[in-house]
Amino acid sequence: MQQADSSLAAVKEDARNKAKKRKLKNALTIGLFVSPALLVYALYVIYPILATLNYSFYDWNGSSVGTYIGLQNYVQLFNDSIFWTALLNNTWITLTSVFVQIPLGLIMALMLFAPIKGIRLMSSVYFFPFLMSTVAIGLLWIYMFDPINGSINQLINLFGFENVAWLSGENTALIAVLFVIVWQFAPFYMILFRAAIVGIPEELYEAADMDGANPWHKFTRITFPLLMPTIVSSSILAIVGSLKAFDIFYVMTGGGPNHATELMGTYMFKQAFVNFNMGYASAIAFVMFFIALIVVIIIQVLDFYRQKRGVFSE
Amino acid sequence: MKRFYLLMTIASMLMVTACAPGGGGSSSQETDAVSGSSETGGEVLEFWYIDPGEKEVVYQEAVERFKEKHEGVEVKLLRVANDAYKQKLAVSMSGGNPPDVFHSWGGGWLNQFVQQGQVLDVTDSIEKEHFNELALDNATFDDKVYGLPLGLSLDLVFYNKEIFEEYGLTPPDTYEEWVSIIETLNENDVIPLALANQTKWPGAYYLMNFASRIGGPDLFNEAFTREGRGFDDPAYVEAGEYIQEMVNMNAFNPGFNGVPYDEGQGRQLMYSGQAAMMDITISFVNNVRTEAPDFEEKLDFFVFPAVEGGKGSTNDLGAATGPVWSVSSESEHPDLATELIKELTSTETAENYTNRTGSLTGVSGVEPEDEFIKRMYQLAEEANHLQMPYDQTLPPELAELHKDTTQALFGLSLTPEEAAEQMEAKAEQDLQ
Repeated sequence: MQQADSSLAAVKEDARNKAKKRKLKNALTIGLFVSPALLVYALYVIYPILATLNYSFYDWNGSSVGTYIGLQNYVQLFNDSIFWTALLNNTWITLTSVFVQIPLGLIMALMLFAPIKGIRLMSSVYFFPFLMSTVAIGLLWIYMFDPINGSINQLINLFGFENVAWLSGENTALIAVLFVIVWQFAPFYMILFRAAIVGIPEELYEAADMDGANPWHKFTRITFPLLMPTIVSSSILAIVGSLKAFDIFYVMTGGGPNHATELMGTYMFKQAFVNFNMGYASAIAFVMFFIALIVVIIIQVLDFYRQKRGVFSE
Repeated sequence: MKRFYLLMTIASMLMVTACAPGGGGSSSQETDAVSGSSETGGEVLEFWYIDPGEKEVVYQEAVERFKEKHEGVEVKLLRVANDAYKQKLAVSMSGGNPPDVFHSWGGGWLNQFVQQGQVLDVTDSIEKEHFNELALDNATFDDKVYGLPLGLSLDLVFYNKEIFEEYGLTPPDTYEEWVSIIETLNENDVIPLALANQTKWPGAYYLMNFASRIGGPDLFNEAFTREGRGFDDPAYVEAGEYIQEMVNMNAFNPGFNGVPYDEGQGRQLMYSGQAAMMDITISFVNNVRTEAPDFEEKLDFFVFPAVEGGKGSTNDLGAATGPVWSVSSESEHPDLATELIKELTSTETAENYTNRTGSLTGVSGVEPEDEFIKRMYQLAEEANHLQMPYDQTLPPELAELHKDTTQALFGLSLTPEEAAEQMEAKAEQDLQ
């Protein structure tokens, strides 16, 4: 018996070793296959982030040798009123993206499924803004918003309003650019939602029909819950995109007038390549990264709990 | 290694495709001007400039002459768009891959690179008498010459003769006369002054001019060298008050702070006759010739008017140098590159430059043939003082603050006192 026991133990041990070996071998194989991508990822994503963090501790103009100044860049940053303006403006973009852009994209997507004549043509028309380059869009809208001869002002003149100097007013400039952002990116979410709606099984709607559901119920009980994953990923895209927004503002207002439309991105760019404060710009860059990271983690955690509760439960 | 880090940082910080620090041969704008040279494989020089049109042709011809004298040397020409240029050069400098010969405007921006040891000292290779002294000074730091000024530009108030005739107006000598012109134009629904101030520098000319008229031409130098008056001098406060007074009397087109200059909406107001005057550099003439040639016959100019009780006069002019050609200290062929910038500022090049592009030149003794330009030339010759733009003289951060506060003055969101205080506080930090 004892002998049998020990041999059993030996077999078990052997099996365990084999499993271990297999696991190790698997890990090695997986590692080998992943390594090229991992290397690229480390070199182009992880490493620059760490390098940026490192630079943010220096007073450095970008080419000569920097001086180590510890956390001074961050102290200066948190006392910099322009940075807080920029952060607030980024928040406005985020809110606009999530609460205007995405719902608008959803409405546009739903309209594409409505029995309206010529809707196929409209789907292309809706998508046009997203196809144009941002610089072209920026220039186009600068002309549209021209304080004297712009078509927007001519339009509001028809309704009896006075000309508005859209991009020059510290209060109106942000609104004007936000409008352009919504115009540009809503079609992107439209396409995402459209693809997701196509993916919803027809049977669900048929079953709902049998149960006598009206269109509103069908939307709230079937379409909307099943679109939730798309809404979550759209939100992540929108939020992260808003936090690192740069191009359209750079083209249309350059962060002006008087920093009224300054963003973290444009302010970082100015500090780095206009004022040659590479260390300070790195500090801004790192704060941007950190904020984006925190926001994404929060969204992921919330989504995890949502999935745990189940998609269909209210 | 540090440079490598920097490139990585830039790549991660910005998802902007346009900021690739492309050293050689990566841009689609590149025009390879190698044509007839029989022997190649020799030295290659890279040359960056920003001016399009006829100016570009003048540079290309100078390069051809250079190549005839130096057989086997190739020159790669690259024109970079004006707005992108400062960033592109800064990135290439810190990326360790700068062009051999490059454009600048002299002043503080060039000095930034000089301080970093990126620019070659060419003092011993040139004759200083060949250049206008004031222009060359703008590229001379610690008595060493780091750039050769081909172009010289003045700041003048251009106006539409036709509109002035229509309302019986004559060019003003004093601010009071100017105000009455502005009032007359306003009564007749003509925009008195076109201003494209999103880019901030066009408005800065008003501050510089008023400050010079009120506090005298030495005011800025005293503040800059920290000897005597500062940026919080009453003259600066008063200059801000004049600006806000003009804004309040609707002297400018509405929404000027959001109108960009390069896109041409400001100039369009002039061409279309919606606006009567514009305070701008004489590069405007070159713009008129390409954008609205018919407009040139209506075009005339006057010098920024005097202010009563001020220490300055209409003999003090705002001016700027550019292009200023410099050689990078990392150039592999510094001697050839120096020869190239000398060819780019030779008398022949300067004559072509001034006669064909309607500009003035920093090369001395080159008189323009065109009567219109000749009047500008005489103004420059007789000037008591040439004031280089602050934003090109001051170190970058202070220069930005100067433009920001001035734009805010125009936007009535800062008081003149606040603007002057902010400038002085920053100047105390940044200037020794």
